[in-house]
Amino acid sequence: MSELALDLLLMLPALLLLAAVFLLPLLRAAWLSLHASSVVTGLVAVPNGGANWRRLLGDERFLQDAWQTLRFAGVSVALELLLGLALALLLHRPSRGRGALRALVLLPWALPTTVMALGWRWILNDPHGPFNALLSRLGLPTYGFLTTPATTWLATVMADVWKTTPFVALLLLAGLQSIPADLVEALKLEGAGRLTILRRLTLPLLAPWIGLALLFRLAQALGVFDLIQVLTGGGPAGSTESLAVYAYRQALRFLDFGYGSTVLMATFALLLLPGLAWLLLQNRLPRRNA
Amino acid sequence: MSGLSLEQVSRRSGDRVLLEGLDLAVAPGECLALLGPSGCGKTTTLRLVAGLDPCSSGRILLNGEDITHRPAGERQVAMVFQSYALFPHLDVGENLALGLRSRGVPRPERDRRIAAVLELLELTPLVRRRPAQLSGGQRQRVALARALLRQPRIVLLDEPMSNLDARLREDLRPELRRLLCGGEPPVLYVTHDQQEAMGMADRIAVLQAGRLEQVGGVRELYTDPRTRFVADFLGRPAINWLPAEGGRVLGVRPEHLRPQAEGGIAARPLRREWWGHQPLVWLETPHGTLRMLLPAGGELLDYLMVGWRAENELWFDADGRRIDGAGPWRQQGRARAV
Repeated sequence: MSELALDLLLMLPALLLLAAVFLLPLLRAAWLSLHASSVVTGLVAVPNGGANWRRLLGDERFLQDAWQTLRFAGVSVALELLLGLALALLLHRPSRGRGALRALVLLPWALPTTVMALGWRWILNDPHGPFNALLSRLGLPTYGFLTTPATTWLATVMADVWKTTPFVALLLLAGLQSIPADLVEALKLEGAGRLTILRRLTLPLLAPWIGLALLFRLAQALGVFDLIQVLTGGGPAGSTESLAVYAYRQALRFLDFGYGSTVLMATFALLLLPGLAWLLLQNRLPRRNA
Repeated sequence: MSGLSLEQVSRRSGDRVLLEGLDLAVAPGECLALLGPSGCGKTTTLRLVAGLDPCSSGRILLNGEDITHRPAGERQVAMVFQSYALFPHLDVGENLALGLRSRGVPRPERDRRIAAVLELLELTPLVRRRPAQLSGGQRQRVALARALLRQPRIVLLDEPMSNLDARLREDLRPELRRLLCGGEPPVLYVTHDQQEAMGMADRIAVLQAGRLEQVGGVRELYTDPRTRFVADFLGRPAINWLPAEGGRVLGVRPEHLRPQAEGGIAARPLRREWWGHQPLVWLETPHGTLRMLLPAGGELLDYLMVGWRAENELWFDADGRRIDGAGPWRQQGRARAV
C-alpha cells in the first residue's frame, strides 16, 4: 500500500465524521436554498430557480440584520481584544493570589450563555432590574436598556464583552507566557522602559495569538444567536436581530426552510471571511519568522 | 575603590535561601568565574548584580557607588544569556539596534556602531537573517555583539557557551576573553564547567548551596582547596577520598597516586580508561576503590602497591574544612587481603 493510500485510510474515519456532521448539512442547506420549501409547498422541496437568492438581495430586513451583525461583531470583538489584552497583561504580572484571580476572571466565560443572557435581562429590566433600581436610588431617571431601539444593541455588546473577554484574556495570557522571560529581561537590561518592551517585543510576539483570538471571536460573534435570542429576542423592532436569529425565524418560526437556508448560506459566507483572512495571514507569518 | 564588590549579599525567595552573606570583589578588567553545581546560587548572584532580582540584604557597589537599588536598565550591564535571548521577530541588525534605539542613540551613530561591531564579529553578511536562520555559534556572536554595543560598566555571562559543542567552546574561549575581559568593566562568568572556568577566568569563586566555599586563582583552588567540597568539585578525574581516624578524610588526587615497591596500599587493577594520552586505572584496595592516573607508557602488574608523597595529601576534618599539617596518612588496623 502506498504511503498516500495509507494516510487517506487512516484519516477516513475522521473525514467521514466531518462529512456527516458538517459537510452534509451544509450541502443540504445549499441545496434547499435553491428550492421552495415551506408550509405553502407542504414542506416539500420544489426547485424555484434561484428565487430565494433574488428575494434575499432585495430583502431590507436581511440587509439591516447583516449590518447589525457586523456592527455587533466589530464593536464587541474590538472591545474584547482591548480589555482582554489589558486583563492578560495584568494577570501575567507575578502577584499574590494570581491563581485565584485567574479562576475568578474565567467565571463569566464558564457560565452558559442562556443563563448569562437571562441574568442580564433581569439586571437591565426597566424599571425593576437592579441597575435601574440603582439609578432611581441615585435620583436618576430609569432607562429602558432593552426597550430603546437606538441603544439596545449596546446592551448586547456589553453582555457579550462581559462574557467573552475572559476567553480572550486567557488565550492572550497563554501567549504571554510563551514569551521567554529572558527576552524581556534582555531588553530591560538594555534600558528599555515598559512601553518600549510592550510595543517592540511583547505585542509583536503576541501577534499570532491576537490573530487566533480574532479568528475565534469574529467567527463566534458573526454567528451570534443564543445571546440575542434570549436577551432581546432580536428586538426591539428588530434593532438587535442578527443574521443567525433571522435565519432561525425564517426556518423554524415561519417554517420557510427554503428561504431560511438561503439566509443561512449568506451568513455562512460572512463567517468564512475571518477564516480566509486567517489563512492568508498564516501564509505570510511563517515567512516572517522562518 | 574601583571594580565591583558584593557585601554580605543575600537573596531569599519565600522560605528558600538562594544566597547567603556573599562577599565578593571583582577588579576592573578581571574575569571572575562563578562555579558550582546547579542550584548553588551562581545564577542568582548574576541576576542580583544585573538588577533583575532584588537583594534581600547586603550591598552591591560599582566603583564605590551603591547600585543595590538601581533599576536594571540604569546599571549599564551587558549580559549574555545562556539562551542568547535574541529577539526572534527581528533580524540581526534590528536585534542590535533595538537596545540603542530604546536608549535614544541617534540613527547615524547607531548605524556606525552597529556596522563596526558587525565587522568585528564577522557578522556583516548575516545582518538580514533572523535568529532562527543562524547556527548556534552565530547566535552566540550576535549576543556578544549586543553586549559590546551596550558599552557596559559590568559584563555578565550566564553559561554563554553551554549550548555550543565542546570543540567550538574551546575555540571561542580566547575570543571571548579578548573581546570582553581586560577592559574597564569587571566580568562575572557563570558556569558549571570547571574546564571553562579554568580556561576563562582570572579567579574562580566556588559556590555551594548559596554559600561561597572559596575564591582564588585557578591553581590555588586546585592545589590548596580550603574545603572538601572544592577539592571534590575541581579536578577531573575526581580526587580519591580515604577515611582516617576521628572522622577526618584524606584526599589524594589521581595523578599523585603512583605504583611503589613497598610501604603502600595493596591494590588490584579493576579496569582502565584512557584519558587522552594517560590511562586512568581503577584500583581495588582495602580502603575502597581508588583512581590513579598512570604516566604515559606506565606498565601495570596484576597486583601492586600504590602510594603518594606526603606533600600531596589534602586533609579535611569531619565538617569538610581543610586541616593543615595533619599527615602523614597511616594505614589503620590490619589491611584486608585483596
